[in-house]
Amino acid sequence: MARPEAKLKELKPAELRHEVGARKDLVVTLNRRSEHRLIAYGEDFLFEKLPAGTRVIYPAPPLDPLADPDQAIRYALLRPENADPLFAQLDPNMRVTIAIDDISLPLPPMRRPDIRERILNQLLQTLADYGVDDVHLILATSLHRRMTEAEIRRAVGERAFRQFWPERLYNFDAENRSELTMLGKTDHGEEVWLSKRAAESDLLLYVNINLVPMDGGHKSVAVGLAPYQSLRHHHNAATLRDSHSYMDPTRSALHRSADRMGAVVNQNVKVFTIETAINSNMYGSMLDFLHKNEDQFSEWDHARLSGFRWTLRNMSNDLRRQALHRYTAPYGMTGVWAGETQAVHQKALAKVYQQYAVPVKGQSDILIVGVPYISPYNVSSIMNPVLVQCMGLGYLFNMYRNKPLVRQGGTMIVCHPLRDEFQPEHHPSYIEFFHRCLAETNEATELEERFEREFARNPTYIHMYRYGHAYHGVHPFYMWYWGEPARQHVGRVIVAGCEEPAVAARMGWEAADTLDQAIAMATSELGRSASITYLHLPPIVIADVD
Amino acid sequence: MPVSRSNSRLKTARNGPRAARPGAAFYDLDGTLVDLNLVHAALFVQSNLGEWSARIGYLLAFLARAPRLYLAERDDRRVLNAVLFESLQGVSADRLLHLGREYCERVLIRHLYPQGVELLRANRDAGLEPVIVSGSPDFIVAPLAEYLGATAFAANRLAMLGGRATGRLAEPIMAGEEKARWCERFAEERKLDLAASWGYADSYYDLPFLAAIGHPVAVNPDRKLSRTAASRHWPVVHFDPSRFEEAKRDESGAADAGHDFERAPVRRGNGGAAHGAS
Repeated sequence: MARPEAKLKELKPAELRHEVGARKDLVVTLNRRSEHRLIAYGEDFLFEKLPAGTRVIYPAPPLDPLADPDQAIRYALLRPENADPLFAQLDPNMRVTIAIDDISLPLPPMRRPDIRERILNQLLQTLADYGVDDVHLILATSLHRRMTEAEIRRAVGERAFRQFWPERLYNFDAENRSELTMLGKTDHGEEVWLSKRAAESDLLLYVNINLVPMDGGHKSVAVGLAPYQSLRHHHNAATLRDSHSYMDPTRSALHRSADRMGAVVNQNVKVFTIETAINSNMYGSMLDFLHKNEDQFSEWDHARLSGFRWTLRNMSNDLRRQALHRYTAPYGMTGVWAGETQAVHQKALAKVYQQYAVPVKGQSDILIVGVPYISPYNVSSIMNPVLVQCMGLGYLFNMYRNKPLVRQGGTMIVCHPLRDEFQPEHHPSYIEFFHRCLAETNEATELEERFEREFARNPTYIHMYRYGHAYHGVHPFYMWYWGEPARQHVGRVIVAGCEEPAVAARMGWEAADTLDQAIAMATSELGRSASITYLHLPPIVIADVD
Repeated sequence: MPVSRSNSRLKTARNGPRAARPGAAFYDLDGTLVDLNLVHAALFVQSNLGEWSARIGYLLAFLARAPRLYLAERDDRRVLNAVLFESLQGVSADRLLHLGREYCERVLIRHLYPQGVELLRANRDAGLEPVIVSGSPDFIVAPLAEYLGATAFAANRLAMLGGRATGRLAEPIMAGEEKARWCERFAEERKLDLAASWGYADSYYDLPFLAAIGHPVAVNPDRKLSRTAASRHWPVVHFDPSRFEEAKRDESGAADAGHDFERAPVRRGNGGAAHGAS
C-alpha cells in the first residue's frame, strides 16, 4: 500500500492547487492596511476601501485546460458514459438532430474556436462517415432571443455554418405551434413539450457548455428545446422559492422539475449528451489583474488597472458598451464527456465544482456583490434594471451550496449604477414589465397571477420573439422570479452607486450614492459589529458555506 | 440601438392600473400593413380612368404635380393627401368605388405584409379588435378593411358634389393629430381603453397617433420615427417577407441539402483514439 506522501507526489502542483480543501487562502480577511478592492460596477469598476474585518472570497485560479481538446472530444465520443459509442448508434437512414447551447453561454463569449465548433466538427464528420444525411442543427434558445446570423456562425464555426445555414441550422422557435409536440406528463402533472423535429428524430445529440453547475443535465434538452407550456411548470415563483440554491442541483426544485421532464424526454427520444466544462480563465493577458488578490498587486497591475478605468470612463457610453461586449474570453476546456444524460452530467458537475468551489466558514450579516456589464440575457445589449435584479438576487446571491453567504434577514449590497435604460429590440416586454407591472406590485406571486399570461400570449411580443431578436414576452417575469429565493431570505437590498433612486425604489430596493454610504446604511441597522462578506468577481466563485 | 431614458408620457400611460375596459389594435395602412404608399394608389386610380387618351392626360396632370407632392411629402402629410386627389375632380362616386375595390383585390392584397396580417389576426384572437386608421381614401380602405375583418376604419373622404368628386378632401383630413383625435373619439364611443390598446405605424407623421395609444409600436419605421421610438422605449417591429419565410421553413426540402463533410466508407468497430477526457 502506497504511503500518503507517495500519493501526494503523484499529484502535479497544479492539481494540488485545485484541491478544494486547500483553498483557505482564497478567503481573505481585510485589515486597516489592506489594499482597496476591485468591484464590478456595470460597465465600470469600483476600486474601494472596505472596512477592516471584511471577508473577501476570491475565485480559485483557472484549472489547467486539456492539452488537446479535439482528441478529448474524440475520446468522449468513442468511450461514452452508459451508452454505446456514437458511431455504433448510427444508421444511414436515421434522422439526427443536434441541439446546441445558445449565446447565453459562456460569458463573456469565448475566443474562437468555440467549444461548440470543435464538437460539431467531430459530430458532423462522424455522421458523414456513417452516411447519415438527414441532420438538423437547432440552437436551443428556448424563450431567449434568436441568435443573429453572425452569432451563429461564430458559435458553430465556418464549416457547419456553410453547410447547414439556414435550411438545416436555425434557432428554436417556441411559438411555432406546428413545430412543437407534447411528449406526455410527469408524475407531477408537468406537461413536457419539445421541438417536434427533435422529438421525431432517431437520435438527439445535445452539445453543451457548463459555465456554472446550474447548467447542463436534463435542463439542456427539457428547457432549451421547450416552449412556455413546459417552462411555466418550473419557471414560477413557488418552484424557484424552493431552490437552495440554483448552483446546487440536489437542493433545487427547479432542477428536480427539469429532471422529471428530462426523464419523460428520454423515455420518448434517444438522447446522447455531450457536456463540457471550462476553466475560469475569463480575463486573460492584459486584464488578468481582475482575477487577483489586490494585496498582491504589482506596480504593473496598478498601472493597468488605472489605465483600464481611465479608458472606460473616457469612452462614450455606446463605445464603452461595444468595446466590453466585443471582448472574448480565453477559456480553456477542462473536460468533455458524452453519453447518457445524468451520468455525463455528474462528471461535468464534479469538474465544475472543482473549478469554482471555495470552502467558507459561516454566514455574514452583510453581503456585497458587484454586478458586471454582462449577464446571460444581455449579450451585445444593455443590462437593464430587471436584469440587474436577476444578476444580483438571482445569480450572485445563489453562488453558494449549503447555506447562503448572507444570513436570514441580513442585508445585500449590490453595486451597480442602475439606470432606467433598456434595449427595446432585445427586451421590449421588459419595458412594459418595469413601467407597468412593477409600478403596481413587486410581489412575484401577484405578478404571476395578474400579468404573466397576458405577457406570454401578447401577439406583438411573440412577433418580436419569432421574427426579431426579442426575448419572449414572459421572460422578464422569469427574471423576477429568479430573484425570489433572495427576496425571501434577505431583509434589505441596498444599491451602491445608484444613479436613479426611483429605479431602485420600484424594485423595492434602497439607493445609496456610494458603497461607503451603503455600508453605513446597513450597519446603522445591524450594528457596527455586523460582519461583511464581499464576493469577489470576476470570474466565478461558489461558496461552500459551512 | 441603445437608448437612454424612457419617455414620461409613456410611463404615465402605462403606470396606471389597467381598467377593465377592453383595448383595440389600431393600424396605419400604407407602409405598415402594406408595402405600398398612397402615391401608388393614386397612380393606379388615375391610370385606370377613362380611355387611353384620357389616362395620358390624367398622368400628365399627376406628373405636373410631382414637385408639390415631393415638398408636401417632406413637410406636411395633410397637404400631400390633398394634392394627391386633386386630379380626381369630376370622377363619379360609383367609378371610385369600383376602382377602389379593383385596386384592393388586384394590388393591395398581394402587397400585404404576411407578418402584419399574422399579427393582426393574433391580436384579434387575443381580444384586440382591429381598427384601420389611414390617410388613404375610403374607397380603397373599405374593401381592405372588409378583407382583413377590421371592425372599423378611419380614412379620408373625397368631397362630392352631385355624385362626382370635387378634387378636394372632405374635412377633417385624416393625418397627423387628426388620427389621434379620431382614435380618442372612437375609444370613447366604443368604451375602449386606449391605455390598453396597441397602435402600429411606420412614419414620423404618425407620431401623434402613436403617442395617443398606450402601446405604440413602430413598424418598419423611417429614420425619424426610429430615433423617436428608441428614445421613448417603443417596440420596433420589422415586417419582412423573407424572415417570415425563414420562420415558416418547410423542413421537407431540408433533407435534400448537400453534405460537404467528407464522406468515408462506413466503418465498424472502434476507431481507437485514446486520450484523457477530463
